[in-house]
Amino acid sequence: MKTFRTMLKTEIKLSLRGMDMFIFAICVPLVVLIIQGIIYGNRPAYPDAGYTFLEQSFSALATISICAGGVMGLPLVVSDYRSKGILKRYKVTPVSPAMILVVQVAIYTLYAVVSLMLLYFTAKLFFGYQFRGDLFRFLGGYLLVLVSMFSIGMLVGGVSPDTKIASVIACILYFPMLILSGATLPYEVMPSTLKRVADVMPLTQGIKLLKAASLGHPADSVLAQICIMGVVAVACTVIAVKYFKWE
Amino acid sequence: MKEIIKVNRLTKCYAGRPAVNKLELTVERGTIFGLLGANGAGKSTTIECILGTKKADEGKVTILGMNPYTDRKSLFERVGVQFQESSYQEKITVRELCEVTESLYRETEDSFELLKKFKIDDKKKSLVKDLSGGERQRLFIVLALIGKPDVVFLDELTTGLDAKARREVWKMLSALKEKGLTIFLTSHFMDEVEALCDKICILKKGNAVFKGTVSDAVKDSPFDNLEDAYLWYTEEEEKNENI
Repeated sequence: MKTFRTMLKTEIKLSLRGMDMFIFAICVPLVVLIIQGIIYGNRPAYPDAGYTFLEQSFSALATISICAGGVMGLPLVVSDYRSKGILKRYKVTPVSPAMILVVQVAIYTLYAVVSLMLLYFTAKLFFGYQFRGDLFRFLGGYLLVLVSMFSIGMLVGGVSPDTKIASVIACILYFPMLILSGATLPYEVMPSTLKRVADVMPLTQGIKLLKAASLGHPADSVLAQICIMGVVAVACTVIAVKYFKWE
Repeated sequence: MKEIIKVNRLTKCYAGRPAVNKLELTVERGTIFGLLGANGAGKSTTIECILGTKKADEGKVTILGMNPYTDRKSLFERVGVQFQESSYQEKITVRELCEVTESLYRETEDSFELLKKFKIDDKKKSLVKDLSGGERQRLFIVLALIGKPDVVFLDELTTGLDAKARREVWKMLSALKEKGLTIFLTSHFMDEVEALCDKICILKKGNAVFKGTVSDAVKDSPFDNLEDAYLWYTEEEEKNENI
């Protein structure tokens, strides 16, 4: 526990010193929220909808931070620590190198939670946001999306031969998901061809699942999405654990 | 227990070619052991197989009577390691690296005292990457000592240190040895080996071509100093081929 606390404290400092995660996981979602708030205001999502456009978008915005940490942050830090020999150094201490991975997962989870709270309070205070769904269902879905995104990141970071390849794969996954999965650009305003492209991405499915939970739509309408996210999480975790390269 | 490190018939092959071949070693408590050899002779592979970060193809290794594979957790409470390529986070400071290292062990030295002993306590707030080569090398010796080890492995101990700093490091290691610390080191500097090592082993293409004390190494060769003797041991084959 002493080890975990000290490492967590130090790694948070290092992560904040890097600034990139602060920008991509904390600032970007807030900026997108404010822009959407200004553009759409309190307009209903569609004529006669029982909720506003922003209420519909809220849970999509909440995944930006998960996406940044899981698909960008994790692969980069894991492959970097491996190539620097940091994971190997932990092998000759009483503490397992897996500890530093657990610490990284904890840090990106913290980024995601902080981002979620900031989004919620900003939306509530400035744009009259109201959460209409089932809180526990939303949090459960949120956790599922987080686990499956992080498992993708662990897989990329764990099996990429070097930092360069990890960052190329991370970019290929991150930017299309950020822009096309509905996290920033609302899925509802996309033309139908683009929607078909978006549907291939796991994050798009995750966002559908969260939207249903936050708007109070019935859970059985998103059973397929729950299955997809679960399969992604299990498959990526199993492969990552099996083929993880420590050095 | 007198024998701190025991290596029996250690063999490790890469692509069918032995990098280390049936190596036998013992290191006794409170002594300094030097593993010598040219680049590529198998020194790093030997250290990694002894520490269990690489799996040997054959042979048996014990450190402090423990198996480095199966007893990892308890063994590395008592073993300090400084690897050749220093591994640290890009933006970490000296103080943070020391704090994290302290948190890994049950019982620790005061890292500030150690930093002071190795004359880098004024660099606590510096980023590790901003240290000079010599300062960083000393920091990594400090890190290897933080867990109050009984044995330390120092790979390429004083590479990058200036003459004065090297002498200081030697003095400190000798003092630690007097207190009972066992030291396993590799080095390319024969003056260092002469000043420090009780026993040495010279590796050539994975085979031990000499084992014993420094003075025996000189006596068994046609030369009167270790550097020439070392070169003679490691180049003998080529010379014979030339004749």
